[in-house]
Amino acid sequence: MIFDVVMPALGATGGDVTIQEWLVQPGQRVEAGTPLVVVETDKATVEVEAFRAGYVRELLAKPGDAVSIGAVVARLTDSMEALTETPVAPLPSTRSTREHESTEVKASAGKLGVSKLPAKASASNRLIPDDATEISADLLLSMFRQMVLIRRFEDHLYQLFLQGLVPGTLHQSQGQEAIAVGVCAALRRDDVIFSTHRPVAHVIAKGGSVNAIAAELWGKATGCARGKGGQMHLTDVAVGVMPTNAIVGANVPIATGAALGFRLMGTDRVAVSFFGDGAVNTGAMHEGVNLAAVKDAPVIFVCENNQYAASTHISHNLRIATIAERAKAYGIPGFTVDGMDVVAVYESARAAVARARRGEGPTLLEYTCYRYMGHSRGDPGNYRSKQEMAEWRSRDPIPKCRALLLNDFGQDERTLDEIEAECQAEVEAAVAFAMSSHEPAPEEALRNAYTTWPEVFYAQP
Amino acid sequence: MPSREMTMAEALRDAMRLAMREDPRVFLLGEDIGIPGGFGGGFTVTLGLSEEFGHERVMDTPISEIAIVGAAVGAAMVGMRPIAEMQYGDFVFCAMDQVVNQAAKMRYMSNGQVSVPMVLRLPVGATRRGAQHAQSTEAYFMHTPGLKVVCPSNPYDAKGLLLAAIWDDDPVVFLEHKLLYGGKGGRKEKTSLDPVALVPEEAYTLPLGSLAIRREGTDITVLANMLMVHRAMQAAAELAQAGISAEVIDVRCLAPLDWDMLIASVRKTNRVLIVEEDNLTGGWGAEVAARLGELAFDHLDAPIRRIAAPDVPVPTAPALENAYLPHAERITEVVREMVGR
Repeated sequence: MIFDVVMPALGATGGDVTIQEWLVQPGQRVEAGTPLVVVETDKATVEVEAFRAGYVRELLAKPGDAVSIGAVVARLTDSMEALTETPVAPLPSTRSTREHESTEVKASAGKLGVSKLPAKASASNRLIPDDATEISADLLLSMFRQMVLIRRFEDHLYQLFLQGLVPGTLHQSQGQEAIAVGVCAALRRDDVIFSTHRPVAHVIAKGGSVNAIAAELWGKATGCARGKGGQMHLTDVAVGVMPTNAIVGANVPIATGAALGFRLMGTDRVAVSFFGDGAVNTGAMHEGVNLAAVKDAPVIFVCENNQYAASTHISHNLRIATIAERAKAYGIPGFTVDGMDVVAVYESARAAVARARRGEGPTLLEYTCYRYMGHSRGDPGNYRSKQEMAEWRSRDPIPKCRALLLNDFGQDERTLDEIEAECQAEVEAAVAFAMSSHEPAPEEALRNAYTTWPEVFYAQP
Repeated sequence: MPSREMTMAEALRDAMRLAMREDPRVFLLGEDIGIPGGFGGGFTVTLGLSEEFGHERVMDTPISEIAIVGAAVGAAMVGMRPIAEMQYGDFVFCAMDQVVNQAAKMRYMSNGQVSVPMVLRLPVGATRRGAQHAQSTEAYFMHTPGLKVVCPSNPYDAKGLLLAAIWDDDPVVFLEHKLLYGGKGGRKEKTSLDPVALVPEEAYTLPLGSLAIRREGTDITVLANMLMVHRAMQAAAELAQAGISAEVIDVRCLAPLDWDMLIASVRKTNRVLIVEEDNLTGGWGAEVAARLGELAFDHLDAPIRRIAAPDVPVPTAPALENAYLPHAERITEVVREMVGR
């Protein structure tokens, strides 16, 4: 198989970076964490490392080239044989000259190592476990189906929102499906996830009922929380979906606590905290990751770096090159991985989960991605350029997965078309179920604030 | 059942020890609670527990209040029964999101799919340390749906209520007054009261929500919690010598709160004075006064009155702190005004 090496979001402006020097050559064997290339941003000179082990197939930019964030700059393969296969990914968007030369004096142009393993890391800290196996067609088909289901559901919701039929708020995840699906595919049913105000993809990927989600969005008695949760607070404990959290960063220490609880109970269950790039500057994030690190908690911190905290680009919020780099400050491994590639997501998550289960502690996984829609309903996203959006959409994870299934896994168009049709039917049925369900009874509002509360104390004057 | 004399710190420790022996899901987390050679939390309450239960179950944390409360919330949601400690109650403000938005709301937002059976222990009360190590914080939590609030005044109640809080399936904020702990040697508070009580050695629980009549009376009902119970009792003894019969009720649980018991007392005495170390405006006494005004107006012969701390932060200097706190003399004075004798 062939894996794209994508330029992570380096530097403070989010603009182009310049390739300075390649540290590897085609055909060379690399491990996860091997430095591949030195690049220069407007802030620093930075090494970009391999996100997985493999062989360097080709280098797609040369020293001096300006490369945009998200561009494919090299390709790796998992085997010597695959070095000569035909690539399936789109061509990289490199340009030979910078469009805008900055005359600013460069501050702090120190050489930063991106996502280096900490000093105490051993061979077992490698991102890709030694027992890595080929992904099966069944698994890839299942991940394809889930990504399509999420996309169809979110798109259908958006259409209904435009018609004024969605009663509450809407935070959508089109473009980020591969992360939810790839991470949850690496989990067991009894592992738990803690999601955010943008939870639909995570809940579906962990196996949550689409009917119950839809009904919760419509505030119906058949919703997963009988209307007390709403779009931002979905729960499906039976499949390990803990109540999703609309306070940015808050689930980081909570997931850490769940993980510590799993260990205290003597199990090998793990917890996942999903959060966005906006969460990484909260105190909860810092305290939670640090506590997990010093206690070796079996938790995986999954940062979906979709480049924007609401309308604010990450370059306004972060001085360092990548979010994964933060991991070094906590003494845990951190990696930047292409979040538009479900296979890369799955394999990196699988490694981090295995590490957590072995008792070796938390991993910070930064997945670069893009939120196609606005932050929430009514946000047209005018703070983003059409070109930027088009570039990211050209790397959409679903067509990429589809091509992989067709080209490398022997699937035919008909099978995949049928999956798409089934998903469309499922989401339409779910929304019909939601819209036709009953409203909760008014007295429902008073239930379940407490497990036990003496009835007499509810006495009102 | 065999009993022995215990201070409040000993009674609290005993409760946690018994709970941890009984149920592996119970564990502690907080700052400096189990460090070998350390002091067992800010007020010796957890002293010796890490020796018995190890450092996984008596989990020392960095100075990270958000992480302490957040980790307790997460562990509780997956079935553990964590007891989290703030070294001083004032530090809980660093973690208010985790208390108010997370612990308190998880059950409701999930419509009961998860519950958060955790205890959050907060040492409170003015002890010559200044405004950031002294505040009475109970009103914030009494105001928050989803939380239960407990504030014992003596070792017997402390043990029985803490065990009830540990076995309760909802998050319980458990306030402990620093002048009541009974610290010894270098850990003794200068102005402490340190009540000692005969406490059963075995495990027992007192119902969350229950109040306790400390002294029966007929002329006035005095409501107080924690340290103020002791000051109200001192005043009631002096008033008895003047022929005034004051009923003192220990409001040891603020949420739930046994309104029926308060109303029954008001029916008997027809007068209510509330004594609290909390600031006057929006303190727990404000809610109690308002509710009794609605529920028991026909039985009141005088306006409900409150003695509380003034609406300023807690001062540090002994002379100023003394002026800030409600005292027995003031209670006696106000009761005599209200009773007219």
